[in-house]
Amino acid sequence: MPKNWIIKTIEIIIFIIFLFFLLVPLLSTIIWSIALRWYWPNTFPQEIGLDYWLQALGMIKSLTLGAVNVIPAFLLSLGIAIIVVLLTMSIAIPAGYALAKLRIPKFLKGLILILFLLPRAFPQQPVFINLMLVFNKIGLTGTVGGVILVHLVVSIVYAVWITTSTFSSIPPELEEAARSVGASRIRSFLKITLPLSAPGLIASAVFVFLTSMDEFTGTFFIGIPFVTTLPMTLYSASGSNIQFASVIAILLLVPSILFMIIIQKFLKAEYLGGMGG
Amino acid sequence: MGYSLKKELNLKENKKEVGEKYSHLTSPLLPYLLVLPAVMVIVLLYLYPFLASFWKSFIGKDGILSLSNYQKTLNLYRMDIIFTFGVTVLSTLIATCLSILLSVYLKLSKSWLAKQIGILYRLPIFLPYVVVAQMMRSFLAPHGILNLILAKSGLIDIENPLQFFNWVGLTFGFVWKEAPFMVLIILAGFQMIDDSYIEAAKSVGAKLPQIITKILVPMNKSNILVAATLVFCSLVGCFSFPYMLIGGKTPGTITIDIAHRVNYFGDYGVANALGVFSYLMVSLLAVYYIRSMMKKGLYE
Repeated sequence: MPKNWIIKTIEIIIFIIFLFFLLVPLLSTIIWSIALRWYWPNTFPQEIGLDYWLQALGMIKSLTLGAVNVIPAFLLSLGIAIIVVLLTMSIAIPAGYALAKLRIPKFLKGLILILFLLPRAFPQQPVFINLMLVFNKIGLTGTVGGVILVHLVVSIVYAVWITTSTFSSIPPELEEAARSVGASRIRSFLKITLPLSAPGLIASAVFVFLTSMDEFTGTFFIGIPFVTTLPMTLYSASGSNIQFASVIAILLLVPSILFMIIIQKFLKAEYLGGMGG
Repeated sequence: MGYSLKKELNLKENKKEVGEKYSHLTSPLLPYLLVLPAVMVIVLLYLYPFLASFWKSFIGKDGILSLSNYQKTLNLYRMDIIFTFGVTVLSTLIATCLSILLSVYLKLSKSWLAKQIGILYRLPIFLPYVVVAQMMRSFLAPHGILNLILAKSGLIDIENPLQFFNWVGLTFGFVWKEAPFMVLIILAGFQMIDDSYIEAAKSVGAKLPQIITKILVPMNKSNILVAATLVFCSLVGCFSFPYMLIGGKTPGTITIDIAHRVNYFGDYGVANALGVFSYLMVSLLAVYYIRSMMKKGLYE
């Protein structure tokens, strides 16, 4: 029996180290968001309170250096994300359906597949820089429209993957049965395939929503300095005021955690790697 | 598209033969019309600027075809290119080893602790790199929590906190964020391996290291390689985290240099040459990734 005790002890030690490195960075951010004064090397803040939260949420006026009211940035991010979801899904659902269910020659399918794998395989930042040059010419740099387009291209890849695999998982016999009793293709799609694939499509939409909410690199080059989304305010607060930056980091983190709870049921592991580039 | 078809069919009411002729004409085209918008988005907003970064990298300040951008890049940023490669390789290796060990643990242990770890480890996967960057800035700062804890426990001198805003912090953050994602993929592969293999190996006296190196890892090789490839490729291109952690310090990453080149000098030639270096860095693995995905038939 003594061997069992050794294994248990090792397991508990590993568990503690694991918890420490996993959770303390998060904890540190939470403490900083409520620390009014915290001088090195005190173990705990000398003064805590919700002042920075209230200032960031615009509930009290702030004269602090680096202060930001995050509400406009949050609403802007939210608005952009909703438009990006609608735009992306209305493009990705037909494409996913065609790739999963309709006849496309093998080599063309392969070509499309490569096209949708490239953005995942190669660094995207140089692409955004050249997109910025294009957008400069047509006046899209620094506009909400430009930012929406760059979010669209980032999320469409994942949306097409997820919708395609969702539609692939629906047995074709069901739609064929509906069509054999006289339903049109569009009717059998709306009545059979769409409801069955709803969980996957909703998961895909949530995924796109968060991709847009969290998007940094594209917005940095296309949007700055006029389109300040939530991640952009986090970036600018990060250099000047650790409390505001911590508050915004937590605001961005909450949707991600909620997503984690919802997504468990619907999504396959392979799609999650691209989250929050 | 389907609706307009229907409308048109209604217009030609009861002329069934016309409708049949129509559907005969459209059905081979339908798949292409449905994928066209998505393909157009990728071609116009991704493929064109992607290819542009290659040819723009060969156009010098005077607008003439030359290698001057590459010359300048190698003169100014040689160390940064090596630094990027080094940190990426190191982070990928550490993340791979850690994630294999954690996956093995989660596969073999049925304890309560393992169950808790099996839920908690997913947390970083869903956090964007901007948030990770801010968390690491407060965790790893010279006067941050990690140094505070190390100092209070007497491991370091309180007057001389450790500096993490360099390759160490970068590697730590990368591993923190990417190892859980690798566990997700690798563990899924381990779960497919029947327990009877492990039982059989145990019954002929195999120890844990042998079970890992002779059974679990070889049987799950393709998942591990794809996970490591994805991590390597995304770390080379990661911008927000290095920019927020070590932006302005030397050595920095290629992505930081690209941002400086564009924002401070408007020098797209050198920025694109740097971009091509980052493409080259991932090229072998990128090709491997795309080929293995094609073979697997990602969509099936």
